[in-house]
Amino acid sequence: MIDGIQYVGEHLWPGQIGRAAIFISFCAAILSGFAYFFATQQREDKTASNSWRKLGRLSFGVHGLATFLVIGLIFYIMVNNYYEYQYVQAHVDDDLQFRYIFSAFWEGQEGSFLLWMFWHVVLGGLLISSAKQFESPVMAVVSSVQVIIGSMLLGVYIGFGPEAFKVGSNPMLLLRDTMDIPLFANADYVTLLEGTGISPLLQNWWMTVHPPTLFLGFASTVVPFAFAIAGLWTKEHRAWLKPALPWALFSGAILGTGILMGGAWAYEALSFGGYWAWDPVENMSLVPWLTLVAGVHTNLIARTTDHSIRSTYVFYALTFILIVYSTFLTRSGVLGETSVHAFTEMGLEWQLVTFILLYLLMFGGLFISRLNSIPAPKKEESTGSKEFWMFIGSLVLLFSAFLISVSTSLPVYNKIQEFFDPGYVGSVITDPIPHYNKYQLWIAVFIGLLSGFSQFLRFREINFSNHLRPFLIHTGIGLALAVALTYLSTTMISLQAWQYKLMMFSGWFAVVTNVDHIISFLRGNLKAGGSAIAHIGFGLMLVGILFSGLNQEVISRNPFIMDGLTEDEEAKRNSVLLIKDSPVPMGTYEVTLNNDTIDYLTRTYNVNFARKGENGETIEEFQLTPNILYNKDFTKVAAANPSTRQYWNRDIFTHIVALPPEETDINEKKAKEDSLQYRPFILDVGELYSYADTVPISRADTFRVQQMEIQLLEVFRDATHPDYIAEQGDLAVGAKIRVRSSELDEDFIADPVLVLRGEVLYNFPAQINPLNTRVKLNEEIFNLVYTAETELGYQEFELAQGTEFEFAGYKVQFAGFNKNVTLPTYEPQDGDIAVSAMFQVENAEGQVRAGQPVFLIRNSQPLNLKDEITDFGLHLRFVSLDPESEKARIFLAYQEPRKPQAAFSVATRSFRTDWIALQAIEFPGINYFWIGASLMMFGLTISMYHRIRQKRAVAS
Amino acid sequence: MKKVYIIAGIMIALAVSLFVMAQDDLSTYSNISEAISTGDRVKIAGQLAKDMEMLYDPVQDPNLFTFYIRDNEGTTQKVVLLQPKPQDFELSEQVVLTGRMQEDAFVATDVLMKCPSKYKDEEIYLKEQQG
Repeated sequence: MIDGIQYVGEHLWPGQIGRAAIFISFCAAILSGFAYFFATQQREDKTASNSWRKLGRLSFGVHGLATFLVIGLIFYIMVNNYYEYQYVQAHVDDDLQFRYIFSAFWEGQEGSFLLWMFWHVVLGGLLISSAKQFESPVMAVVSSVQVIIGSMLLGVYIGFGPEAFKVGSNPMLLLRDTMDIPLFANADYVTLLEGTGISPLLQNWWMTVHPPTLFLGFASTVVPFAFAIAGLWTKEHRAWLKPALPWALFSGAILGTGILMGGAWAYEALSFGGYWAWDPVENMSLVPWLTLVAGVHTNLIARTTDHSIRSTYVFYALTFILIVYSTFLTRSGVLGETSVHAFTEMGLEWQLVTFILLYLLMFGGLFISRLNSIPAPKKEESTGSKEFWMFIGSLVLLFSAFLISVSTSLPVYNKIQEFFDPGYVGSVITDPIPHYNKYQLWIAVFIGLLSGFSQFLRFREINFSNHLRPFLIHTGIGLALAVALTYLSTTMISLQAWQYKLMMFSGWFAVVTNVDHIISFLRGNLKAGGSAIAHIGFGLMLVGILFSGLNQEVISRNPFIMDGLTEDEEAKRNSVLLIKDSPVPMGTYEVTLNNDTIDYLTRTYNVNFARKGENGETIEEFQLTPNILYNKDFTKVAAANPSTRQYWNRDIFTHIVALPPEETDINEKKAKEDSLQYRPFILDVGELYSYADTVPISRADTFRVQQMEIQLLEVFRDATHPDYIAEQGDLAVGAKIRVRSSELDEDFIADPVLVLRGEVLYNFPAQINPLNTRVKLNEEIFNLVYTAETELGYQEFELAQGTEFEFAGYKVQFAGFNKNVTLPTYEPQDGDIAVSAMFQVENAEGQVRAGQPVFLIRNSQPLNLKDEITDFGLHLRFVSLDPESEKARIFLAYQEPRKPQAAFSVATRSFRTDWIALQAIEFPGINYFWIGASLMMFGLTISMYHRIRQKRAVAS
Repeated sequence: MKKVYIIAGIMIALAVSLFVMAQDDLSTYSNISEAISTGDRVKIAGQLAKDMEMLYDPVQDPNLFTFYIRDNEGTTQKVVLLQPKPQDFELSEQVVLTGRMQEDAFVATDVLMKCPSKYKDEEIYLKEQQG
């Protein structure tokens, strides 16, 4: 660090307060943890326990406030763009819109840890007010977790020299504290700083809602875990089951929603082309959810039968530990190249490993020491009972979680092997998606079937044979309907293998049996039907996965077939070139690229989809608008956003995969334009010019000569062009030029336009794609078409209405005033007073022309709009009007009329840039997936409410 | 013996056998010479050869991108990627490809890129100099 520099322009107070608040938050969490620990340990002694608990509450409150203060300060420095702070510099830039400030906050590791802590504080508050007898042990656990996460933000070094351990990464550090670069030799370095900003991929609505939901899901898993620890600790092995259940259901619903939001984000806003890709990061958020759901089931069994209490302990503990493990995987950098969305390394690996081991040992030790006191009925569950099959279901879920975790942990295994044997060559899963699919398919089949028939079983069944009849009837109806629906599905989509048919059957079976359960057993009472609704959702989700996953069809099939490719490889070639205005068939559609529009950095392409009937009539037509987002300098495409047409039974998903290089990078466009060899022309109207043009053919040394024929057809003012929006005061010149090449026996008309607005020239060249030729107007055209005012010798006239006189050999008549001016050159504005003078001019040959100069008062300023009778060479101005005499002051000038001419340039070898490469995929039945998944979360939520109400009803 | 234990036992046995079977899904990163000699579908890792030609012409074929990689044995190999050119491909250093050798080219269907860390140069902290 450079000593003795007085820096200017730094804002130090938020950092000082912030670092203090982080420290206070950390210490208060420790204090709270200890206080609650002693409150639990001394629970026999009411007074001691109460005062410990008070201290615990107080310190947790201080911890919460300090945490909120840190969060508030980070927002404060972010909103004010204090780039001297490392976290602000890394996640904010001047262009960041305010609505993405949250995304910027949790883009970094430190911010996401704070988000996690924030939710723990909120949940802790709720637990303090609701956990009653379990408050102390539960809050002791929550506080201890806050200590661990809080330590990730400390940013202090323990030890000295190269041995020093870095504990945490402090978000409140100044940039100059984190690194030593020559920049800090400047006392005013702050003024030189610029923010890095957040990735454009993350600047969207999903990034605002997905992380807080997912982190609330993560955070909420601590509650069932804390209750489990509380149960073991206080040996209240039964009592904790009841309050833990609604929390577990809440956690399941939120974590599930968070995961689904991630899928929806990937599908809708990112161009991943699907909602699930078995990416390690996705897997490791799914795994704790699976164990949590398994825990919810065993919790239910334990509440009603006393069986499975031990399993419930294990499942809830496993859920929390897996959440921490998932954090370790995504944040330690160990996943490396196997994941698309892992965080970068931050040097907190050992801290996260400690986190995992600590809780693993804490739970393991406690569990083993209490094992003998945990109630477990001697008599085992009967095969005809609900609890038996629910337990089997939980085991299947655990099995699934185990398979996914092991496969996902392969990089961790490799790292451990490398540690012992540096020469070890780690292995990878060659194709992850089929690997996971082929095993998880069976899990889906089992869970679908179990969640179907077990609904017709009863808890604590002693005499199953008495209920065999209704069980068989309902299961039989379920089987029959599911077979019918599976058959119906096979008529809609193709299920290539019997395994898929089985899975489809199992999905439908879960749906129909649970619908039956609601109708026959609950008599439509949906309040108690949370479980049935969730299982219907699960079944529907399976159906949706099969519909959309197996039968997703790339409709942007490529017409080029490469030799020697396998079917799988050919399927990867999934984009198509769309040239503007040239329809391309895709599936049942005819797809045409229309225009595109630019709004700041976003360029949106309008792609028209039309379905034609037998007679070529359009049956259905819609527009999709995939867009791309440029970076700030327009030098590259930062993100491509898909556009999807949604039907009830399928989606059509499109996204842009490539643009012409000139449209991707503005420098490329300039370079391309500069490299064009333009040949300048000045031609009279009607004049024809022809020349020989040599074109190199692909490889050097081969040339081909084409004879080019250029003819100027027309020159005109007030030109129009599709991309040009006229403004008052513009000079817009256009020309029609005929171009012909000996290569093609066809005439092409180019109509370039050149606009002068103030000092700026706007060029609208014309591209003739069949000839790869570009025509643009040159600046000199203005001198050829317009006469400079300074060259005109105006004469002044005071004219009354009806005056006739001679001027430059013309007979000029002032016909009168027109107070209702409608001229293309005049754009009325509010408050204008406009009058024009109507002139009739006749030449010696008796030809008559009209002229109409305008005088107007706008904002109390007199102005005039000139008129010109081009072929007579007359220029007219209406300069002022005497209101009393009603005489007009008119300026007239004559200049010899010129031959209409145009200056333009022609370049051959200009290649077209009006195309995009588009990917289009049809996802049938994807809505079954979304509806099913949402129903599942809805079902969990209903169950949670149901449980909370039951709890209240019992309490009162 | 409880039924549940039996079922758990079956599951464990199943898991073990599944993992044994899953060995077929695994591969190590091959180098180019191995990919050539076996012709199997493999993952290879290598450095992007920035001194060699990179060709992507969507007008000809939007699903064909050719470039060269060099593995740590120094072998240079032409790669045909059956996909549009990924964003920022030029910036990447290490690339991991999944595919197989076919004739003289490695035909890849998947690519993962590793870009250099963005916090290396001082310049990124500084405002662009005007003029």
